[in-house]
Amino acid sequence: MLALNYAFAGLGLGAIAALSGVGLLVTYRATGVFNIAHGAIAMMAAYLFWQLTDEWGLPVWLAALLVLAVIAPAFGVALERVVFRPLQRRHASPAESLVATIGLLVLLLGVAFVVWGAQTRNPSSLFPQRVLHPGSLTLHVDAFADLAVVIVGTGVLAVLLRRTALGTQIRAVVDRRDLAELAGVDADRVAAIGWSIGCVFAALTGILLAAQLSLQPFNLTLVVLETFAMPVIADLTSIPIAIGAGIALGVGQSQMNLWTPSDSQLASIWGALQSNLPVVLLLLALLVRQRLSEARGDAGVTTTLAQRRSAEPSVRRLTLQYTVAAVAMFLPLTLSDVHLRQAQEIPALALIFVSIVAVTGYSGQISLGQAGYAGLGALFFAKASVGTPQLVALLVAALAAGAVGFLTGYPAIRRRGLFLALTTFAVGAFVSRFVFAQPYFTSNVEVHRPSLFGLSLQGDRAFYMFELAMLAIAFLVTYNLRAGALGRSLIAIRDSEQGARSVGVDARALKVLIFTVSAMLAGLGGALLAQQAGSFEPSSFDPLEASLPWFAVVIVFGADSAVAAVVGAAFVVLVNGVTGQDNAYLVAVGLLAAFLGRLPGGAAELARRTVEWVLTPTALMRHYARRQPPARPGIALSPGGRAALERVRGRS
Amino acid sequence: MTIELALRDVRVAYGAVEVLHGVSLAVPTGSLTALLGPNGAGKTTLLSAVAGLLPLRSGQIVWCGNDVAGVPPDDLARTGMLLIPERRGIFATLSVRDNLEVFAGRGADLAPAFDTFPILERRMTQLAGSLSGGEQQMLAMSRALLGRPRLLLLDEISLGLAPRVTRLLFDVVAGLAECGVTVVMVEQYLSDALRLADLVYVLSRGELAFAGEPAELAGRDLPGYVLTG
Repeated sequence: MLALNYAFAGLGLGAIAALSGVGLLVTYRATGVFNIAHGAIAMMAAYLFWQLTDEWGLPVWLAALLVLAVIAPAFGVALERVVFRPLQRRHASPAESLVATIGLLVLLLGVAFVVWGAQTRNPSSLFPQRVLHPGSLTLHVDAFADLAVVIVGTGVLAVLLRRTALGTQIRAVVDRRDLAELAGVDADRVAAIGWSIGCVFAALTGILLAAQLSLQPFNLTLVVLETFAMPVIADLTSIPIAIGAGIALGVGQSQMNLWTPSDSQLASIWGALQSNLPVVLLLLALLVRQRLSEARGDAGVTTTLAQRRSAEPSVRRLTLQYTVAAVAMFLPLTLSDVHLRQAQEIPALALIFVSIVAVTGYSGQISLGQAGYAGLGALFFAKASVGTPQLVALLVAALAAGAVGFLTGYPAIRRRGLFLALTTFAVGAFVSRFVFAQPYFTSNVEVHRPSLFGLSLQGDRAFYMFELAMLAIAFLVTYNLRAGALGRSLIAIRDSEQGARSVGVDARALKVLIFTVSAMLAGLGGALLAQQAGSFEPSSFDPLEASLPWFAVVIVFGADSAVAAVVGAAFVVLVNGVTGQDNAYLVAVGLLAAFLGRLPGGAAELARRTVEWVLTPTALMRHYARRQPPARPGIALSPGGRAALERVRGRS
Repeated sequence: MTIELALRDVRVAYGAVEVLHGVSLAVPTGSLTALLGPNGAGKTTLLSAVAGLLPLRSGQIVWCGNDVAGVPPDDLARTGMLLIPERRGIFATLSVRDNLEVFAGRGADLAPAFDTFPILERRMTQLAGSLSGGEQQMLAMSRALLGRPRLLLLDEISLGLAPRVTRLLFDVVAGLAECGVTVVMVEQYLSDALRLADLVYVLSRGELAFAGEPAELAGRDLPGYVLTG
C-alpha cells in the first residue's frame, strides 16, 4: 500500500516532467529548433502567472487564460518574428539556432532577475491542492489533474500534427522552409504557429511546476532543463515514449523512498541519487544512445559560429590586437584596491572563456559543460593544496581537470552538434549535482592564494600579476592549437569532420585531445576564480548559472578568437561591477546571442556598426548612393534573341 | 506571341558580391526555354530570384504583365509559378504521401502523379529521404503534375541521375510544355536541353552571353562549353 501511495505521490511530478519533456519534443518537431530556452520560457510564464494572481489578485482561471491563451502564443509569434525568422532567412545552421536559444535563455534569466529578483515565491496552484483518502490510499487531486492535462494536451497536438493539413505544413516547414514556400505554404505563419504551440506548452509546464515546487529564476529553469532526458529517451520523435519516461521518472523517484540504507554514507549517496534522478537519467540516456534523430539533418556544422570573415586576419592586425589587449590587461593595476579585487575576476574568467574558444571556436565541438571542469579545477586545487606547494597543487588541479576532460572527451568521438551539446551539458550538470552540491566534497574547503618560491601572492597586485602570467600561458597553449598542422587539422574537423577523416586526419584522437586541453585550461581558470574569491562557491560553477551564460558570452564576442574571450570576460566583470548586480550581464549577452540572426557578428559587429554609424560622414554616404553601377558589357545576340530583348525593352 | 515572363536589368547580390549584373530576357508564353551556362554563371540565382526566394538589388521581373519583384515565394506559388529547386526538391523527413499532400493540398487527387510515376504509389508510406535519387526527383517532379502550374521553373532536374530516369523526366517536361505550360529549364545536358527548347539563353558570369534559337548555338564558342555533335 505504501508503494502505491508513493506511486500516486510521484505521479504529479511525473506528469509535469512528462509535460515538460513533451513540450520540448513538440517544440522541436514544430520548429526544428531544440529550444534550450524552454525552461526559461516556463519560468517567465510562471512569474507572470504569480504576478497576475498573487500580486494583482486576478482569479486563477483568468490569469491562466491570459498567460496560456494570450501571452504565451503572442510570445511565440514574437520569437519567430524577431529571433528565428532572420536565422531561417540566412539559412543559419542548427548550431546557430541552438546558440540563439541559449541566448534567449540567458536573456530571460537576466530579465527575471532584474524584474523579480532572486527570492523564492510560492505561486497559486492551477488546480485545487486537495488530498483524498479512499481507504488507506492518499490521492492528490492536482496530480491527477496534471496528468489529465498532459494526456489531453499532447493528444490534441498529436492529432493536429499527424492528421491535419496544418500539421503536414508545419512538418514541411521544419524540414525545408524554402521548399515549403515554393509549394505555396505561408511558412512564416506556419512557423509562428509552431512557436506558439511550443510556448504554450512551456508556459503550462511552468505554471504547473511552480505550484508543485517553488518559483526562483534559476531553480525552475534548471528543473525543466533536466527533463531533457524525456525527449532524448524518446529519440526526439515519440510523444508516447516521452510521456511514459516522464511518468516513470516521477514514480521511480518516489519509489526510492521505500528503501533507506542504514549506512549513513550510503544513505547520502542514495539521497543524492534520488533527488538528482533526472540528471542521472539524462546522462545515461545520452551515453547509451548511439544517435539522435534530428529534425533538420545535422547540427554538427559549427563553422558558422566561428567564421565571420572571408580571410584570415593579417599579422599586423593580430599584432595590434594582442598588443592593445596586453596593455589593457595591465590597466587594472592602477585601480583602487576594491576595483582591483573585482578586476581579478577578469583573467580567471578569461582563462575559462579561452578554454571554450579552444573547444568550440577552434575545433567546432559545442561544449555546454565547461563550468564543470572549472569547478573541478577549483576543488582539486583546494584539496591538493593541503600540504603541497601551492604551485604544484595548481598544476595537479589542471592535470586532474584535464583527466576528467580526457574521459568525457570519449563520448564526443561519436557525437556532434545537438547530441554533443546535450551530452556535455549533462556531464556538467552531473558533476555539479554529484560533486559540487555534496557536502562530502565541498564542506570545509579552504582556498588560499598561492605563493611562488617563497614569494607570497596574498597581495592583490601580486595575485593579479600571477593571474596574468597564467593567462599568458593559456594564450601560448591556444596559439599552438591554432598554428601549424595541428591547427589546420582542428579547423578541418570543425568545417567537415567527414572531409577531415577522408584525408587522414585522426579526428578521434584530436577530439579527445582538444577536450583534454580545454578542460585543463578551464580547470586552471576555475582554480584562479576560487583563489580570487577565497572560497569554493558551488553556484559559481553551476551548469545554468555559469556554463550556458559563459558559452553565450564566448559566441557573442567571437568564438574563434582568444583575445575576444578576454574582452568578453572584461565585459562581464565590468557590467556586473557597474550595475552592482551579479547577473546584470545576462541581459546584454542574452540579447546579443538571441539576435544572432540579425547580428551574425555578435558584439564585434555591433561595435563596428556603431563606430561606422558615428564616424561615417553623411557626405560619404551620399557619395555611395550616387555611385554609378558599372557599365553593362555587350551581349552576343542572335537576331531572334535581339528581337526578344527588344520586346522586353519595348514594354518598359 | 505574348511574353509570359520578362526580366529587365535584374541585379542580384549575395551580401556585397553581385552575382547577376543586369540580366534582361524574355520567355514567350507556352514556350520551353533553356537557360544554360557554366558553373557559377548565375542560373540557379536567376531562377531563385524569379521565384521570389532572393531579393533583387535592382531591376524588374514582370510575370503576366505584373512586376513581381518582392512578392513572397508562397504568393507566387499559389498563383501558379512553380520552381523545382536543384537537388531533390522534397521534404526528406516527411512520407511520400505527406510530400504529395503538401504539394497538392490535403485531400487532393494524387492520381496524376501516380499515373506518371507508378513507383511512388508503392512508396506512399516511406520517408522521402529514404528513396533513391531518381525516385526523389520523380517525387519532386510530381509537384509540377499536381500543382497545375502556369510557369514551371526547373533547376537541373537531371543532375546526377541515370539516363533512363532523365529521359522519363524530360518526357514529362515536354508533355507539360505541350499542354501549354511555360517552362524555363536550367540544364547541364546540352543535347537534351537543345532538343526540347524553343529558345535558349546562355549566362556567363552573371551576364547574358547568348540569346537565340537552339540551332543558332551550333558552331558558336560559348564560355565554359565545348559544343559537340
